[in-house]
Amino acid sequence: MLVLVLGDLHIPHRCNSLPARFKKLLVPGKIQHILCTGNLCTKESFDYLKTLASDVHVVRGDFDENMNYPEQKVVTVGQFRIGLCHGHQVVPWGDIESLAMVQRQLDVDILISGHTHKFQALEHEGKFFLNPGSATGSYYALDSNVIPSFVILDIQQSTVVSYIYKLIDEEVKVERIEYRKS
Amino acid sequence: MAGYQQRLKQFQEILDADVINLKSLKSLSFSSGCPHEKGYRSLCWKIFLNYLPRERAQWPKVLQKQRKLYQQYMEEIIILPGKKMKSQASASGELGDHPLNPNPDSEWRETFHDNEMLVQIDKDCRRLCPDLSFFQQATEYPCEELVNASSNVENLRKRVEHCVLQSETVSKNRLGITFNAVSRKRTQSDEYAVLPDGKEAHWEVVERILFLYAKLNPGLGYVQGMNEILGPIYYTFATDPDQGYRESAEADSFFCFTCLMGEIRDFFIKTLDDAPCGIGSKMNQLMAMVQKYDRPLWQRLEDQELRPQFFAFRWITLLLSQEFQLPEVLRIWDSLFADKDRFDFLIYVCCAMLVSIRHELLRGDFPNNMKLVQRMGSTIDLQQVLTKARELSSG
Repeated sequence: MLVLVLGDLHIPHRCNSLPARFKKLLVPGKIQHILCTGNLCTKESFDYLKTLASDVHVVRGDFDENMNYPEQKVVTVGQFRIGLCHGHQVVPWGDIESLAMVQRQLDVDILISGHTHKFQALEHEGKFFLNPGSATGSYYALDSNVIPSFVILDIQQSTVVSYIYKLIDEEVKVERIEYRKS
Repeated sequence: MAGYQQRLKQFQEILDADVINLKSLKSLSFSSGCPHEKGYRSLCWKIFLNYLPRERAQWPKVLQKQRKLYQQYMEEIIILPGKKMKSQASASGELGDHPLNPNPDSEWRETFHDNEMLVQIDKDCRRLCPDLSFFQQATEYPCEELVNASSNVENLRKRVEHCVLQSETVSKNRLGITFNAVSRKRTQSDEYAVLPDGKEAHWEVVERILFLYAKLNPGLGYVQGMNEILGPIYYTFATDPDQGYRESAEADSFFCFTCLMGEIRDFFIKTLDDAPCGIGSKMNQLMAMVQKYDRPLWQRLEDQELRPQFFAFRWITLLLSQEFQLPEVLRIWDSLFADKDRFDFLIYVCCAMLVSIRHELLRGDFPNNMKLVQRMGSTIDLQQVLTKARELSSG
């Protein structure tokens, strides 16, 4: 099953739209589910995601207009429990030990968080931590050099294959990382 | 009753011969239909559609060969990709293909393309013959590899099922964490009852056959309506009293469907609509026939501008399978398949149908007539129509 993971769009405050190269790749009919780490920030961005897939799950970031998004969410795909959280609540921001605490609280196999606008995927104590980065490449409070990125998860029985799409020098680069549930 | 027994006997005599007398079998079936008893109909159709040769001695060999071939197709087209979908190996970090690959030779792209087609097939098969429970029931002989959950092969239905991920929102207070399950939205699988794992409904078998056909005939692909052609064939084979035939109904109907499509595929190709072999010329032929046999009726249709496209298009492309109840369709097809110049008789039947309601047509106005010709089956008697059609064709 394919799941699109993205977040920290910051449209229209920090960026006016997704990079054209990404828009070209993301067409309806391929992906059925979207997990969004928040900071969309407007309804228009959410509507755009809805055109890509009918099943969209969003958590609230610190700049989201819509106050009804939950702070945290747990989604179950096959054997995997996936935790979703924007990450601005977890201090120090992006710190693996702090994120591991959230992971234990939610009791999830995969924790997806955002906020740092920097792609990151690592295994920590047998669990998988994923940060899709910012899909628009908008600046971050501590960093203005941001590479636009998003992730597609191909979730199978006991493995998750992540395809990472990065926009480097106007060229889309793709990487592949595999996580196996132990 | 005695007459019926006699007819059964006639069929038995012909079918028991070492070399089947095709001509007398055809004329017998053409005039009064095949009996369903003892699987005569299923056998006759296999012979008429050139799936079984005339020599009885060759049947086991042919059947075995074709069924094995079908197994191979299944393996290559459905099971292997299904396995790959579920357990992609190669842990290496290097990357050949990815889901959003725009290259035309990408495997992912092909998968998406297949799924698009599959969505259509799936929709059409789920609602195949809705007034008959047969297609919703479980088949006795499902494909083990697909049905068995432990074999890790994704079946076609699941590939295109639209689902909503099960999700919980998390709320925290001083007492701790609470997970609140989000109520699931209504999904497609709620609308249609789905059989439990380990079972497979007949419509899923039909779906598989159509998908294989579309994959093996990329030029034509899947066109809506093919399901209506396959349905009666599969129904006949899957209700065969002989267990051996019933078991292989899937493979047999695939090949018979392929043979049949070989003859009528031109109707399904849009660019051929106006060609001499296409549907357009068939409709003209029908109207010319009406003009010849019943000029006032033709004039009436012409005056009202009731074009054959409005009704005969469906009659001819789907071999009348939509106009009648399934038992009647089977009876019509007995005659259609047994026709010497195959599918000329179809035009005669269509013509006879129009003629049989001529009084109503001559009286009614355009909307009434339109309704009449589009909903034929309930108003006319099939036996009379067939008799009339035979009269026209011999005259």
